Amino acid sequence: MTETTVSRESFSAHIWRKTLDGVGVKVGLAWIALLVFAAVFAPFLANSMPLLISKDGIISAPVLRYLSVEDAWVLATFFIALAVYRLRLGSGKRILLFLLGSAVAALLVNMFLKPPVLVIYDDFRTITYTDVDWRIMPPIPYAPTDYLRDLGSKGLEAPFKTEGHTHLMGTEENGADVLSRMIHACRISLSIGLIASGIALFIGVIVGGLMGYFSGIVDMLGMRLVEIFEDIPTLFLLLTFVAFFGRSLYMMMVIIGITGWSGYARYVRQEFLKLRKQDYVQAAVASGLPLSSILFRHMLPNGVAPLLVAVSFGVAGAILSEATLSFLGLGVVDAPSWGQMLDQAVKSSTFNWWMAAFPGGAIFMTVFSYNLIGEAFRDAIDPQLSRKAGVN
Amino acid sequence: MSQPLLEVRNLHTYLQSGGREVRAVDGISFSIPKSETFCLVGESGSGKSISALSVIRLLPQDIATHPSGEILFNGQDLLKLDDPAIRSVRGSQIAMIFQEPMTSLNPVLSIGEQITEALQLHHPGMSDSEAEQRTILALEQVQMPHAARRFRDYPHQLSGGQRQRVMIAMALACEPQLLIADEPTTALDVTVQAEILRLMRKLQDDTGMSIFFITHDFGVVSQMAQWVGVMQQGKLVEVGACIDVLRKPQHSYTRQLLAALPENLSKPVLATTQNLDELSTAEQTPLVKIRDLKVWFPIKKGLFRHTVDYVRAVDEVSLDIPQGQIVALVGESGCGKTTLGRALLQLEKPTSGSVQIDGQELTGLSAHELRPLRRKMQIAFQDPQSSLNPRLLIETTLTEPMKVHGIGGNDEERIELAALLLESVQLKRDFLWRYPHEFSGGQRQRIGLARALALNPEFIVCDEITSALDVSVQAEILQLLLSIRQQRNLTLLFITHNIGVVEYLSDQTVVMYKGKIVERGKTAQVCKTPQHPYTQKLLAAVPRLIM
Amino acid sequence: MLTYLLRRLLLMIPTLLGITILVFTVMAMSPGGISAQTLIGGTDMKPQEKQALLNYYNKRYGLDKPAPVQYLRWLNNVSPIGFTIDEQGNRGEFSFSKGMDLGTSFQYGRPVSDILAERIPITLLLNLVTIPFTYLIAIFVGMKSAANRGGSFDVGMGMSMLALWSIPTMLAGVLLLGFFGNVQHFQWFPTAGISSREAQDMPFLPHWEQTGFVRGFLLDRVWHLILPVICLSYGSFAALAKLTRTSILENLNSDYARTARAKGLAEHDVLWRHVFRNSLLPLITISAGLLPSLLAGSLIVENIFSINGMGQLAVEAVKGRDRELVLSITWVSGFLTLIGYLIADFCYTLADPRVSYD
Repeated sequence: MTETTVSRESFSAHIWRKTLDGVGVKVGLAWIALLVFAAVFAPFLANSMPLLISKDGIISAPVLRYLSVEDAWVLATFFIALAVYRLRLGSGKRILLFLLGSAVAALLVNMFLKPPVLVIYDDFRTITYTDVDWRIMPPIPYAPTDYLRDLGSKGLEAPFKTEGHTHLMGTEENGADVLSRMIHACRISLSIGLIASGIALFIGVIVGGLMGYFSGIVDMLGMRLVEIFEDIPTLFLLLTFVAFFGRSLYMMMVIIGITGWSGYARYVRQEFLKLRKQDYVQAAVASGLPLSSILFRHMLPNGVAPLLVAVSFGVAGAILSEATLSFLGLGVVDAPSWGQMLDQAVKSSTFNWWMAAFPGGAIFMTVFSYNLIGEAFRDAIDPQLSRKAGVN
Repeated sequence: MSQPLLEVRNLHTYLQSGGREVRAVDGISFSIPKSETFCLVGESGSGKSISALSVIRLLPQDIATHPSGEILFNGQDLLKLDDPAIRSVRGSQIAMIFQEPMTSLNPVLSIGEQITEALQLHHPGMSDSEAEQRTILALEQVQMPHAARRFRDYPHQLSGGQRQRVMIAMALACEPQLLIADEPTTALDVTVQAEILRLMRKLQDDTGMSIFFITHDFGVVSQMAQWVGVMQQGKLVEVGACIDVLRKPQHSYTRQLLAALPENLSKPVLATTQNLDELSTAEQTPLVKIRDLKVWFPIKKGLFRHTVDYVRAVDEVSLDIPQGQIVALVGESGCGKTTLGRALLQLEKPTSGSVQIDGQELTGLSAHELRPLRRKMQIAFQDPQSSLNPRLLIETTLTEPMKVHGIGGNDEERIELAALLLESVQLKRDFLWRYPHEFSGGQRQRIGLARALALNPEFIVCDEITSALDVSVQAEILQLLLSIRQQRNLTLLFITHNIGVVEYLSDQTVVMYKGKIVERGKTAQVCKTPQHPYTQKLLAAVPRLIM
Repeated sequence: MLTYLLRRLLLMIPTLLGITILVFTVMAMSPGGISAQTLIGGTDMKPQEKQALLNYYNKRYGLDKPAPVQYLRWLNNVSPIGFTIDEQGNRGEFSFSKGMDLGTSFQYGRPVSDILAERIPITLLLNLVTIPFTYLIAIFVGMKSAANRGGSFDVGMGMSMLALWSIPTMLAGVLLLGFFGNVQHFQWFPTAGISSREAQDMPFLPHWEQTGFVRGFLLDRVWHLILPVICLSYGSFAALAKLTRTSILENLNSDYARTARAKGLAEHDVLWRHVFRNSLLPLITISAGLLPSLLAGSLIVENIFSINGMGQLAVEAVKGRDRELVLSITWVSGFLTLIGYLIADFCYTLADPRVSYD
């Protein structure tokens, strides 16, 4: 009998190491990181106003002056997240601290930030802003809703085809810069993906957990509910919800969330049914541990790894849902989104490849990234196939 | 010894695993004469299955290499044969049967199709009707009841023993000279095992084939083998005639293995005498009292899934477990012994009947009402893989129940108690700060015992806790169990299918068959003079070491 | 078997009820609810049309009644058995032969059943062409990948299948249509519909005439279907190919495959005679789930390629808040899905002798 020697690391650390052990997953994570960066710093990356100007010896930052409440909150939350990540605390405390911090930030930002209501981008190209000592412009000097009327833009210009100023990815029919719109749309895709799957996950875990643990009549009723949600094509259900409920961003998140939980519920139920039979759970019951400990300490953490795989595929699905809704003309109205841009490409009288390829490519890359991460994660968790590469 | 049928010379098999090279078989040499049986014994991971697969060349070629050695079969080196040549040897001259009859047959093909396939493969040109005739003959040869009617049955319609018979029929259909049997009876019940072993001996007499038999069970060895080899970590430490090796083992490892068999283990003398004294008084005050316990699972059928019948897993069982005794619960798989053990602890809801511990009724209590009673009774499980929560430190696993039941004043005290517990199961105290995957199977079973002991219970159900372990580890656990029992005056219900363990460990024996208790009494009495026909059959089937 | 079939059909009823209740609730809970105003408010109609619509809804649902009553009245109309309703909307006798009345779509000014009868076959055609196509490619790619596991084909396919699976249908649709259908680029395929306007007058099979080649009805249909079918199928076959690969690998490593090798079978025969059939079992199970996703896919594809199927109808109905159409589309697509499950289960019993239904 040989003693098996295994490295001294916890289960989750082991899984993480194995997950990161591949090229695909690194590409995926890099792309997501890029999106997060773009989403957080969007106003500094693509905007018509200068970042900094020095006029008559006075240095000012128009970008900061025009920073919207939302922009400021996203920035604050990002830095709170960074700070919390550096702290040495338990994960529960970290999450709590983060939520608290972002709530306080939301409150403060709403109270103290009063950006000008009206922004006229053309102004930034008048001498007030151009006749200066020096100025620093953002890398993409166009705001997403800047139609460049003063420049006589005809719209619909292919990448690098415009004279006088460059549009890396061309412009739309109304003259807006495609790249700038895409950068600002990152926020919607990321937040919808995460929050909608968060909601779906929450409902799914609760319903699935109850079904799996209690079984019997709870299980039967729950399964019927799951089946009902599964048997209507989700997209159709989504359409119905959106058409009858309106289309604000938050409504969209909630709606994608409540139409997408059934998969998680089925998953958690299956996992719980399996876990309930595990000896260590039986031992926990036999020791008289309270239900909360059995469910949340002994069962959930052991089912969470496969669940996270489902979540990363789920995020991809949610992003696709949003894009599809926008594409069908039922998306968020007041902000640019990749799906909506794609829709515009179709609606346009001629086919302009840059209008479709770039936003569509962004959707694809994001979905692909989440899928890559999910795949790597699943391979790390499920040693079945890698074990079977050995003998017997 | 005449010209041997198979001669293995200095065989090496290396396996590529995760960038490392494992020397699974490290220079073994043995030979198998015609019409005789060679048994390879060893504990799990010793390389005995790999040796067998090397002989028939079934190891995947991309991970297995044979740096040196020869496998001479009828004087021909199998390692030098190319792929088509070795395939014509496989099945026709060397056949193999495996451990898991449940999964070794293709589930979507009928057994007839699977046997005729082998026949027609090695006898091209054999007509379908002739192949069918030969198949039915082969099935009759392995004493398959109603062989002709079984032809079109699918594997799932057969019992485990019958499937193993089909496997043997398939292996023997082409009349091979050598049959390799890789633990063919390990997954079977002991009575079925006896039948299969008897069948294999008879077929050997009839056909004159040689058998290369892999097993971990010395009882089986002594029943089957003329020759035996003992394997340890890829090396053959001892080879010889069966009688010589078993009676006069030369190598220390062989001696160690034989000494670890439950029937050879020395019982702590003190414990036995003490128990005999207690026995008379203890019988009046049973710690656990079971009355008419039923655990029935409904079978639902029809349009509205109404219950048409029940699976009577535990059927009107009444049993007293006296204070301070070890009661062994024996029976074959599916007899309801595990369900009974779980129903005692209310892990399985009984259909009806009563379970009392210390005079307190357990059935019908809510989880909340049960909690204080849970301290008195604990359970330890069979599977070392799933018995510990992989996400928790051993420390948490041990101290959490203590905290819930208010044992120990604060966390430091509880950690100290947990460390003492680990020491009492002969583990180091700094194991507290490790995760389950860092331990071997035997260590996990010890930790499982420690967890069961954490609440200082009076009664522990041990559900096949040594079944998944090698004999030497099993011996350690059994001895540990006895010493703990003595220190703590524990009462144990020891669920097992291993008669050797029963004889070694228990004071009383209860035999279960199809959900009912068919016999009970003092262990010595039940094992020496069984009354019930089933018990008699069970005991007769146990492969014993003939010394 | 008959009992099982009957049981499954009976179990469909609560699910279908649940589906319609869900959608009805969504409509009832929406801002403004299902009052007369929201039903007719949005559309530009003449006063008498508005009145007609109001009368119609009042008769069918009783708009002054609470939502559950409205639902029950709708259900009574739609269900093949129930109470008869007279001209004034009063309840009559209970009848087993009153027939289903799906109502009238005001958006189209036609009975819903007529519209559905026109649209469903188109969507079904699209899906029924797609499914075998999907399976053929998936099994082929999956088998090849499994056969040279770890090889360059396997690794390459693994990546590209995941990538393919991640391409949004609308992107693929827009690009395919833009490059292969649009006048600006290669104008190889038609941009809209599933047949040309003149296709009705064409003979069925392609042939030569004096004027030149006549593609015929069949070829015309195929020509129109190529791009939509590609769009609809690539996601599913990417997922299926990965599944096939995993399944085959698992089975190649199984005990019974080892038994087959021990018999002396060559690797090729082990794969085809033993492993193949077992590996297809999970694919059958999956096929049940394929239908809802294909129906959802049709939603997008039909919109891009302007095909007058259920998918396009669904989007129009939802956008126009056409209550009757939305409800009927809901239960019809639910029903199709359930039938899909049933067929998949039935195929499974044929393929796997271990499963039998009593």
